[in-house]
Amino acid sequence: MVRFFAENLIVLSLVAIVAFFGFASERFFSITTLSTLLNQLPALTVVSIGMTLVLISGAIDLSVGSVLALSAGVIGAGVVLFGLPVPIAALMGIVAGALAGLANGSLGAYLRLPIFIVTLGMLEVARGLAYLVTDSQTVYMGAKIQAFALPIDGLGMSASFMTALLLVIAFEFLLKSTVFGRQIVAVGSNESAAAVSGIDPRHVRCTVLIISGALAGLGGLMSSAYLGSADPNAGIGLELSAIAAAVIGGTSLMGGRGSVMGAFVGVLIVSVLQIGLAQIGITEPTKRVTTGAVIILAVILDRWRKT
Amino acid sequence: MTRPEPGQAPPRIAARRIGKSFATPVLRDVDLEIPAGCIHGLVGENGAGKSTLAKIIVGLERADTGSLALDGRPYRPITAAESRNAGVALCAQELSLVDDLSIAENILLYTSTSAFKRIRRRSAHEKAARALVAIGLDAGPEVRVSRLSLAEKQLVEIARALATNPRLLVLDEPTSALTAPQSDRLHAILRAEARRGVTVIYISHRLRDVLTICDRVSVLRDGQVRLTESAGALREETLIREMAGADADFDAGRRSIEGTRPVHLRVGKLRSAALPHPISFDCRRGEILGLAGLAGSGRTELLNAILCLDRRTGGSVTIRTASGATEIRNPRHAIRCGIGYVAEDRARDGIFRDRDLAFNVTIAGLGRVADRTGRVVRARETAAVSKLTADLGVTSTGIDQSIRELSGGNQQRLMLARWLHCKSRLLLLDEPTRGVDVAAKLAIHEELVRLRDSGVAVVAVSLRPDPGVVEPEARRRVSPRHVAPGGHPGGGVQ
Repeated sequence: MVRFFAENLIVLSLVAIVAFFGFASERFFSITTLSTLLNQLPALTVVSIGMTLVLISGAIDLSVGSVLALSAGVIGAGVVLFGLPVPIAALMGIVAGALAGLANGSLGAYLRLPIFIVTLGMLEVARGLAYLVTDSQTVYMGAKIQAFALPIDGLGMSASFMTALLLVIAFEFLLKSTVFGRQIVAVGSNESAAAVSGIDPRHVRCTVLIISGALAGLGGLMSSAYLGSADPNAGIGLELSAIAAAVIGGTSLMGGRGSVMGAFVGVLIVSVLQIGLAQIGITEPTKRVTTGAVIILAVILDRWRKT
Repeated sequence: MTRPEPGQAPPRIAARRIGKSFATPVLRDVDLEIPAGCIHGLVGENGAGKSTLAKIIVGLERADTGSLALDGRPYRPITAAESRNAGVALCAQELSLVDDLSIAENILLYTSTSAFKRIRRRSAHEKAARALVAIGLDAGPEVRVSRLSLAEKQLVEIARALATNPRLLVLDEPTSALTAPQSDRLHAILRAEARRGVTVIYISHRLRDVLTICDRVSVLRDGQVRLTESAGALREETLIREMAGADADFDAGRRSIEGTRPVHLRVGKLRSAALPHPISFDCRRGEILGLAGLAGSGRTELLNAILCLDRRTGGSVTIRTASGATEIRNPRHAIRCGIGYVAEDRARDGIFRDRDLAFNVTIAGLGRVADRTGRVVRARETAAVSKLTADLGVTSTGIDQSIRELSGGNQQRLMLARWLHCKSRLLLLDEPTRGVDVAAKLAIHEELVRLRDSGVAVVAVSLRPDPGVVEPEARRRVSPRHVAPGGHPGGGVQ
C-alpha cells in the first residue's frame, strides 16, 4: 500500500489536485478549462522534455525561455518580412533554437565553462536577438500559423498538442530504451565512471543541449501558433516552470535520475494549478506563493520516496 | 634517534579500541599510544584506514566505538575547532586552504578562536610572516593562495597548523608535493618541534621518509594495527610485507611462458605529466603481468596514460587488433580495441551507484545488447547480465537491484563482468582485489586465470602481485625505479 503510494506519488497528486478544484469550483470541469489547458500545454511540455534530458545529464539550460522567443521572432520575421511559407519559417525557428543549443553545448561542454553561466548568458543573448529580429514589436501572422494550434476536425486535438504528446512518448523511449539514453544517465550519474566506460561526457552533454535548444525552438512555433503572432516577450520565466515541472516529475538536479513521462505529469500539475487557482479566485500573488510551495513540497516528497 | 619511553607521564594521545564503519568496517579495534615528543609513523595501503583514523583524532569524523585520551584526559572532539582548542592540528591530504584569500588570512582563519573578533591586519601579517619563515617558504603573507604552487600550498598548510602551537600534530601525506630539499626542511622542523615536546603523527606512503623521520612506526591493514615497532628496528621490506598481508592462498597452476605467444600490448617510452620518467613494457597474450608499486608510485597514472585518460607527453601504446597493430588514441578507442579497465577507486571511476546491476554491467558495451537502431533489447541484456552474474557468483536479489546495496566484493565482480561482457582481450586492473572479501577475491582470481588460459592479456597493478595469480616469470617489475616499492611519486613535483 505504502509502496503503491510512493511509486505513483506524482500521478496521485495530480488526481488529488484535479479532484480538489473539481469540488472547489463548479466551472472547473468545463470545455473552457480544458481548452485553456490544451492551449497552454504544448510549449511548456516540449521545453520541459529538453530540460529533463539536460538535467539528467548533470547540466542545466537557463536559456530555454529566451530561445523560445528567438525562434518565435525568426518565424515571425520569416513569414511577415520575407513572405516565406510557414513550414519553412517554422523550420528556421527550430534551427535557430538548435544553434543556440549548439552554442551552449560548445562553450559549456567542450570548453568546460560553467554551464549555468553560459546558459544564463544565452538567456540574455537570445532575448536580445528576439527583439532585434522583430524590431521589438509583436509580429502578427494570423490564420496562416494558427492552424497548427487549432483543433483538427474529428480528433478534437490540435496538431501542436499531438506533436507534444508524441514527443513525450518518443523521448521517454529515447531515455529509457536506447543506447543514447543510457549514456545520458551514465554521464549525469558518474561522469568519471562514464569516461572510463568509453562515453565522452562532452559529446553527450553537447548533444543534449542541442536537443533542448531545438525543442525550445519548437516551443516558439507552438506559442506563436497559439497567439497567432510572434511575441519577443514570450517565454519569460519559462525556464523556471520547466525546471519545476521536471523536478516535480522526479528528475534530480544533481543529474543521473529522472523521466520524461514524469516531467509531463509535472507540466500537468503546474498548469492545472495555474488554471484552477485562477478559477477559484486566487489572486496572482497568492498563486505564486502556492505554486512555489508545491515545487518545494514535491522535492520533500521525492526525498521521502527515495528513503 | 629513539627518545625515552614514557615514564610516569600518560601518553600524549591514546586510542583504545577505536572502531568505525561506513558501508564496511574501516577501523577495527585500533589501539595506539603515542608519548609526548614522539614522531609516530602510520603506514598502510590505500583504504587501510589511516586517513580515517587521522580524521577521528581531529574530530572530523566520530568513532563508532572506543575512546581517545589526550594527555591522560578523556578527549572526544566533535568538531575540528574543538580539537584545535585542545591543541590538536591536522594537515589533511586534501588541502583545505581557501584559494581566494591571502596566506595571512588563511592562517588567521585557522588560528582565530572567535568569528567576530576584529582583524588586526598588521599582527596577522606578522604572525603569518613568522610562520612562513619558520617553514622556509619565500612568499609574502599578502600573497593569494591561488597563486601558489601545490608544494607551496602544502607548506602553507603545515605552517598554519604549526601557528596554533599544537601539542599533537597530525600530518597526512605532508610531503606528497614537496621537493627533496623542502621535505628535508620539513623534517628538520618536525624534529625541532618534537624536541619541544610536540607529538607528531606522520602518515605517508614514502616509506624511506617514514623510517628516517619517525621514532616509531605502526602499520595499518584492513582497519587494524598489524605492527608497531621502533623505526630503528624496521626495514622497508618488513613494512611492505605487513602492508600487503598474506593473501588468500590460491594455486594458479604455474605455466611457463613460451616466447612464441604474440605480444598483445606494447608500451614504449610512455610519459605523461604524472609520469616524468618514460616507461616501456610488453604484455603477451595469455599472460598475467604484475605491476608492483606502492600507492603514489605512478601505477595508477601509468594505466591512465595507457588509456589516454591522462594526456600523454610522449611515447606510444600499441595494441594488436584484428586489423594489425593500432595506436591507442582515446578512452573510447581503447575500449573498441578490446581493452578493459578496472579502476582503483571503484566509487569514483567504476560504479553508477543509483543504477541497477544490468546498467552497470552493460554500460561499456551497450552495442552488444542493442539492435541496429540503437535500441537496447531488454531480453538480450537480461540474458547477458544473468549469465555473467551467475558465472562470477554475484549474490543479489536480481539484475534490477541497485548496485549500491551490494557488498564491495560483489561490486568488484560486476566491474570485471563489465569487461567480460565487452569480450575485452586486454584487461588493465588496478588493485582488482583490494577491499573485497576472500570469496570474491578467489572468484576474481579464478576468473583471471580462466581468462589467461583463453588467451586474454592481463596487466594487474598491486602493492605486491598476488603470488598465486601472477606467473613467476611475469612477476617482473616495470621500471623498478619508478613503479616499485619506495619509488618516486608520480605527480606534483616541481
